[in-house]
Amino acid sequence: MDAALTEPLALARSLRAAKAQRAKRAALLKHVFLIAASLVMIYPLLWMLASSFKPNNQIFGDPSLWPREVTWANYPEGWNGMAVSFGVFFRNSLFVTILSVIGNVLSCSFTAYAFARLEFTGKRLWFALMMMTLMIPYHVVLIPQYLTFLKLGWVDTYLPLIVPQFLAGDAFFIFLMVQFFRQLPRELDEAAMIDGCSPFKIYWAIIMPLSIPAIATAAIFSFIWTWDDFLGPLVYLNDVKDYTVPLALRMFNSQDSVTQYGQMFAMSILSLLPIFLFFIIFQRLIIRGIAMSGLK
Amino acid sequence: MSFYNRRRFLTTTAGAAGALAVAGALGTPAFAQDRRVRHFWWGNPERDKRTFAVIDIFNGKNPGIVVEGETLGFADYFTKLTTQIAGGNMPDVIQMGYGVMFEYINNGAIVPLDDYVGKSLDVSKIDRSALDAGTVGGKLYAVSIGANSHVAMYNTRLYEAAGIKVGDNFDPFGWTYDDVARIGKAIKDATGVPGTDDNTADYQNFSDFVGQKGAAMFTDGQYTVPQEVVEEYWATWKMIRDAGATVPAEETAALAGVADLAQTGLVTGKSATSYAWSNQLVGAQALIEDRLGAAMYPNTPAMVPGSIVQPSQFVCLTRDSKDAEAATSYMSAFVNDLDMTKVLGLERGIPSQPDVRAALEPQLTDIEKVSVAFFDGIQGKTMLLPPPPPSGANEIEQTFERLAVEVLTGGRSPAEVAADFLQQASDIIARA
Amino acid sequence: MNRVIRKNLAGYAFLLPWLVGFLLLAIGPILFSLYLSFTKYNVINPPQWIGLDNYAYMFGRDARFRKALQVTFTFVAFAVPAKLVFALAVAMLLDKGIRAIGIYRALFYLPSILGGSIAVAILWRNLFNADGVVNTILGFVGIDGPAWLADPRYSLWTLIVLAVWQFGSPMLIFLAGLRAIPQELYEAAEIDAAGKVKQFFAITVPLLAPVIFFNLVLQMIEAFKSFSGAFIISGGSGAPLDSLLFYTVYLFNEAFSFLRMGYASALAWVLLAIIAAFTAIAFWTSKYWVHYEGERG
Repeated sequence: MDAALTEPLALARSLRAAKAQRAKRAALLKHVFLIAASLVMIYPLLWMLASSFKPNNQIFGDPSLWPREVTWANYPEGWNGMAVSFGVFFRNSLFVTILSVIGNVLSCSFTAYAFARLEFTGKRLWFALMMMTLMIPYHVVLIPQYLTFLKLGWVDTYLPLIVPQFLAGDAFFIFLMVQFFRQLPRELDEAAMIDGCSPFKIYWAIIMPLSIPAIATAAIFSFIWTWDDFLGPLVYLNDVKDYTVPLALRMFNSQDSVTQYGQMFAMSILSLLPIFLFFIIFQRLIIRGIAMSGLK
Repeated sequence: MSFYNRRRFLTTTAGAAGALAVAGALGTPAFAQDRRVRHFWWGNPERDKRTFAVIDIFNGKNPGIVVEGETLGFADYFTKLTTQIAGGNMPDVIQMGYGVMFEYINNGAIVPLDDYVGKSLDVSKIDRSALDAGTVGGKLYAVSIGANSHVAMYNTRLYEAAGIKVGDNFDPFGWTYDDVARIGKAIKDATGVPGTDDNTADYQNFSDFVGQKGAAMFTDGQYTVPQEVVEEYWATWKMIRDAGATVPAEETAALAGVADLAQTGLVTGKSATSYAWSNQLVGAQALIEDRLGAAMYPNTPAMVPGSIVQPSQFVCLTRDSKDAEAATSYMSAFVNDLDMTKVLGLERGIPSQPDVRAALEPQLTDIEKVSVAFFDGIQGKTMLLPPPPPSGANEIEQTFERLAVEVLTGGRSPAEVAADFLQQASDIIARA
Repeated sequence: MNRVIRKNLAGYAFLLPWLVGFLLLAIGPILFSLYLSFTKYNVINPPQWIGLDNYAYMFGRDARFRKALQVTFTFVAFAVPAKLVFALAVAMLLDKGIRAIGIYRALFYLPSILGGSIAVAILWRNLFNADGVVNTILGFVGIDGPAWLADPRYSLWTLIVLAVWQFGSPMLIFLAGLRAIPQELYEAAEIDAAGKVKQFFAITVPLLAPVIFFNLVLQMIEAFKSFSGAFIISGGSGAPLDSLLFYTVYLFNEAFSFLRMGYASALAWVLLAIIAAFTAIAFWTSKYWVHYEGERG
């Protein structure tokens, strides 16, 4: 009797233990795989990091990752190497990028709400035109755009870099949010409408909170792309004191004289830090949706 | 409102004159009493610091004129300049390179300086040859700020290891293609590193070769290189390659069209000799530990000169300048004022003004000395600068570099590729 | 009637920021580039009207235009599906609870950040040279690999690998999409003893369809316009032998190296037409496979 009872229990226990063991092994395997894959992913970063600790004349002749002589000099010398300190470039970049992220998230979610949840005449036409702005190669609109901003008197200011972001200038984010907004149940809007909520209230109190993963994704992209953009700052900013980090990084590269690659890589590494931080913080918001689970 | 804007936008920008008026009306306001001059150059951190320092010196010496510096890396310089041309707000003074400058001159973006010579602009001490290089149709358009020539940069450690000695079995100012094969092979045998890059796809070496064969690149605006010269050039480098003196053909093909100094064989340690412009010597030396030497490009045994000395960079006055007198007085100081040129040094190349060169002599670095000695060595061994190339020359150069890869990979016979190249070159001229 | 106006009012109120930006800043330059495509314009002198000459030259005589199309279409056809599959697979792997998942996501995103930097150009050379890492590894299994980057037959494939390697953005979007799928559906499926494969096709794919669709359209558009990778690795020229002559690399050179802004604008509008056609097809097919949770019934 006893034996008959304990045996299945023991069996179940050992089965459960085996399962846990297998799960542990699977997790371990997964980590081994992920770490190996990460190495392939970050090799260029490691190369850049290693190069930032090498003297300039050892970077290209010696392919090994480990520096033969480690030097810290590239960091302080790169930081102060330009006519203007890199601190100024970082401040400019942060200014442009943070404003752009705010502008993008607000204005694009606004527009996306219109396209995803509201009915109005001409919607399909406007949507098609919006998609068109994604398709035109940007190099050919560079000059006409420059002429527009010149006419507005905005050249040599940050306005051409920031104002379009508050006017939903990047259709990528609009389309992205449209796709996510359309997934939210309609009953939410309808119920809120019956309760007398205005469309703005619905947008702000229902749609936005339920779309946090999408918003966070858009914020991350917006941050990284604005931070990395050099074409806009290149064309619109004239004064070195106004330059952003990527523009300054490209100034290290000399076609007919000394290029301080060590310093360039050192500053490149530093320029990745804000991106990395922003990414780590915001990717936490890509969480399991509170969206439908509580509401269905 | 928006329609009005758009229509005015289209009509005003369609004409350059309209765009100019717009730029004039909306340009950044200057202080009424100051005469503003914008100076734009491509550079690097070191050049930027020196140039800003020079601007400070000038502004200090010339109350009433305010020069403002603007700078970018070379890769971005022309993209920005192109948008500024379209907008009619180019800076007053711009830096220009030898080839592309003529497109700007031919189309009127750069204006003649003759009205200012002897007044705000002093060119009396500038080398004759340098002035000639900036002259088109009898008018002076550009003032040289650094001389340049083709140079074979070599790794002295590897040369010494193979027993190659200047004056003994190596004449840097008179070596032939056969010498390149012999020396390159010796270095490969002694060190395992190929002795030389393969110049099959190098248009600069090709242009030397054309001169060495007594032919001309352009005659009366037409591309006039004979087909047999093209074929002979590729046969010459095939001989050197077959001798085992060069890096493998695949490696050469992989780098065709890549101008980045950091990826040349000399810097990456994959060859002992790379070919470049003399103003790149300093930059190359900064990237490798071994000491660099400088030789001329190789020649044929007949030793007909094929290399040229040409300015690497000029300062030019643009048509958008609103105060040409102030701008030219700044240009004048930039090439003559010894306080300013002392700060600039050799950073942009060898200056074209003898007083400036003499004043710099005591403060040269080792590699700068190599560069100066190189220029002494080539005296009398270069040919006269041909007339300015016509529009499309730049595109022909890229076409050559593209098609020569086929010679390396063996896609078509060199004769077929040569015929194709010459056909495309004349098409480019016809279209320009 | 009143309701229609109210609806329109709300719709246009939300559309307003975009509409203002579009009408004031975006459409003018786009139309101007259309105008330029009918002109000869070297930027220095005012544009000259030449009618359809640019288009006639392009379709009649420009061999490099055809080459650029061929390169770009090949790239789109292989890079886009491969990248999407890869991004989805990694996103699903990273969706489940794993320790230190944030770090992995960041690391996997890194190649996309480094985009067109010189470090990537040098890495690609070290990997795909005749004596590079790839051939060393192939050598272990007895394969004598070619000079991948130098050989016009293979160089484009290294760029396709590069594009797949930079799978960060679609991965992140997939991840956000996966997170919006209610977990209960999977739990219910577990109880019904549905296998992982069945769960994938019965739950994941249909509920992720809007996001898959987004990534498909956007990656396709981006691939047609792909520029910086080919530009930096080929030194801006499309070498070797135009095998890396991506459409926009050709366009950039025409516009800024050879100052043929009119012709470059014509090239741009042809590309725009091609992309628009493919996007329209994608939208049309989406009716059959993309269903929105919010719009059922």
